[in-house]
Amino acid sequence: MTSVLEFRGVNASYDGAVVLQDVTFAIDDGETVGLVGRNGAGKSTALLSVYAVPTVTGDIAIDGKIISGRRYEPAALGVCLVPQGKRILPNLTVTENLHLGRAAKRSGIWNIDTVFDLFPNLARGAKRSGIALSGGEQQMLAIGRALMANPRLLMLDEPTEGLAPVIIDQLVEALRKVQSGGTSLLLVEQRIGMIQQLATRYLALRKGLLVSEGGISDLDKRDVQEMIAL
Amino acid sequence: MNIAQLLNGLALGSLLMILSSGLAMIYGLRGVMNFAHGALYMSGAYLAYTVTNHVSFWAALIVCPLALAVIGAVLELVFFRHLQTRSHIEVGLITFGLALIIERIIGIIWGPHTLPVPAPDVLNGTSNVFGTAYPTYRLFILAIAVVMAAALVFWLRVSDTGLHIRAASQDGETSAILGINVDRVSLTVVCLGAALAGLAGTLAAPYFSVQPGMGMAILINVLIVVVVGGVGSLGGAMAAGMALGIVQTVGAVWLPNLAALLPYIALVAVLAWRPTGFAGKRV
Repeated sequence: MTSVLEFRGVNASYDGAVVLQDVTFAIDDGETVGLVGRNGAGKSTALLSVYAVPTVTGDIAIDGKIISGRRYEPAALGVCLVPQGKRILPNLTVTENLHLGRAAKRSGIWNIDTVFDLFPNLARGAKRSGIALSGGEQQMLAIGRALMANPRLLMLDEPTEGLAPVIIDQLVEALRKVQSGGTSLLLVEQRIGMIQQLATRYLALRKGLLVSEGGISDLDKRDVQEMIAL
Repeated sequence: MNIAQLLNGLALGSLLMILSSGLAMIYGLRGVMNFAHGALYMSGAYLAYTVTNHVSFWAALIVCPLALAVIGAVLELVFFRHLQTRSHIEVGLITFGLALIIERIIGIIWGPHTLPVPAPDVLNGTSNVFGTAYPTYRLFILAIAVVMAAALVFWLRVSDTGLHIRAASQDGETSAILGINVDRVSLTVVCLGAALAGLAGTLAAPYFSVQPGMGMAILINVLIVVVVGGVGSLGGAMAAGMALGIVQTVGAVWLPNLAALLPYIALVAVLAWRPTGFAGKRV
């Protein structure tokens, strides 16, 4: 079975400072994986490596095809990112932000109507500037924007950061619907409970190294907890 | 202020608006203050001289922007794309060097003399504007600027490419992650910006004549327009270009001793009051 996303001996660095070392893992079609580790472990860098934001060596493959380092290529191949901090484009409206997701030119179940069905708050503020939304609505917009590309793998970087519990519950519910459509998820998240609700497997990073991986139930084990210091 | 003075201001403002729109778009996307923009305008004017003499002014109006778009493509592919990780000062100095090279090449090809470019017959003479006889050619410049501005704003607001340009101008990295080919967007913008410089040069040729140094002379004003409008803001550049044209023209009549200083006074006043310029946001 070909993996949607595969890292083979990936190293990543910023201006010579090494952040990831020899990381190897694969995400299969339809599965949800949690990527865990303490702050600075290299989780966000791992996701950004797909888009060649840091300097990357080693191979990153999507559907078995090694990507060439062009940042816009992964989205076209169905690997989309909801970045940390949401990175909503402030001078564009909600609708315009969502339409940016179509740049990947992929077809599927997600379009502006189905995204508005998933997040009715966005429909109500469709003409508002993206930056005028609340933190929770901005996160919904960031997820909706990535869904507009009809991804096979949706990578989310700290999606609950700074959000109220009631909004987090809404996001979990929305992500369950995304899962039910067959989309794979790679979830970077400090809230271990959210990962346990959604994922079937975990990968643990520590100081840029992949130090542990296994079934989601293993996350409760004392040695795993100590290793990743959650 | 009479109608003719106001129209003179609008005509000069129109040229500044066309020229500064391109510069603002390039800065908004690439973060490059392109000091070669004045030289591109000058290239458009000299090319218009040759094309007008051999074919017609109408042909120049099409050929010159297209030729400058090709030069823009070279600028993007050879310089801007490869220098995007370098500091703004380094890239700015390189574009300044390019401006000097382009001006020297123009001097070698066309010589040091002022060259006249006649307006087409249909645009010679005057038209009646609210009872005032006013040169038809200057009204033509004004009309072209209005059409250009409307088309540019419409394109940026309605088309997918326009949306991608606005997105990439705000956050290139996020745009690329979303699947926008930022390199292609950048090529489009630099070609368009250079083409607008060529259009401004072509329109200026019958208005001011064509002469060595015309690029550097207008570059100062265009830089003031872009900074006052809000660096990287297309709407700000358009409004500030028109405003500066009126201030300069009317100032030359009412405050002739201070006219040359007015753009700089406006620059200092606006930046002291609002450092981000009028618009304060990109494209």
